[in-house]
Amino acid sequence: MFKFLLIFITCLMVLFTIELLNPVQAAVIQPFTAVLAWVAASVVLPFDDTVISSGRVLRDSVSGFAVSIEAGCNGVEASIVLIAGVLAFPANWRQRTAAITLGFLAIQLLNILRIVSLFYLGQWNYDVFEWTHLYLWPVLIMLDVLLVFALYLRWLSRSDPSPEHA
Amino acid sequence: MRDIAFRQQILTTLLLLAITFGLWMAAEPLLATPAKWLAHALLAFWLPDVIETTIFEPGALLVVTKFTEVDGIIRLAISDEEGLAFRLNTRLVSYGLPFYAALLWGSRIAKPFNTFAWGLFVLWAAMALGLTAMTAKDLMLVIGQPFLATAWVPPSAVIAVSYQFSVLLMPTLAPVLLWVLQLRDSPLWKRLENQLQTSRGN
Repeated sequence: MFKFLLIFITCLMVLFTIELLNPVQAAVIQPFTAVLAWVAASVVLPFDDTVISSGRVLRDSVSGFAVSIEAGCNGVEASIVLIAGVLAFPANWRQRTAAITLGFLAIQLLNILRIVSLFYLGQWNYDVFEWTHLYLWPVLIMLDVLLVFALYLRWLSRSDPSPEHA
Repeated sequence: MRDIAFRQQILTTLLLLAITFGLWMAAEPLLATPAKWLAHALLAFWLPDVIETTIFEPGALLVVTKFTEVDGIIRLAISDEEGLAFRLNTRLVSYGLPFYAALLWGSRIAKPFNTFAWGLFVLWAAMALGLTAMTAKDLMLVIGQPFLATAWVPPSAVIAVSYQFSVLLMPTLAPVLLWVLQLRDSPLWKRLENQLQTSRGN
């Protein structure tokens, strides 16, 4: 277990530092965040045609209210925690790749729900928006990571009992 | 641990979150006080030439520096000049407390009160480090070079990463890691250890 924690924390620190590098932010994180804003707008548009997305910003064309998706709001940090956990746990690379891909999708699915909910909460009540944004949603996203990791462990225990070493 | 037990854990945690977040909202100024003391001690020890004092406010920590601004120029304050101050939102680092409480009280563990008390000490230490990182980030952005030139101040990149790590990851990651470690000897822990041993054995 100690080895697992050591690998987990090392992977976490390395991936987190890489994510913060300016070239990575410019080439990967910011374009990805813009795609996330576009997807969130696409999800809402069939129900609300006043929503527009521009880069990382989601805006209501009537009220003028806008949310900008920043670092910490794009689910990347939560995904890094999941990736570090998956890499630290013994499994073969096929299993790891599947867990990371599906886990990333699960996190982003909840994150889009988060962005959409915050977009409407912000138009309704700014205090509730701020409280939910800063304190409640980060906890729910981490709980999602925990759930995905637990499901991955269950899947591992039911699948091939002879994983390769990292 | 059977799967149903983990489902119960998640559901109980979600239900408890409503209660623990309510308690945290009401008692945050009290709950964050030990972390503020620790942060004060850390800052006084680390940056005696930069930090004048800290003032505890409900939901915030006011950090008063020894620097002042005159005509747009930042310099050390003299005699009765007031130092620049930063108000840190302590809730940004303390919201891990209700998360940890919900995770722990949603688990069946032996000696839950002892375990929770130990957990609180660890989280207060993590919160103090978070507040210190937030202070360093504010000092770097507002005071700038005079702060960065101070002894024992790391490069700006280290301050930036520490701040991001303390605010974006630690408040939710620390409670989970602590909870997993405190589950030692629980069915979930044994299952994880068994699986790790099985995987290594193959």
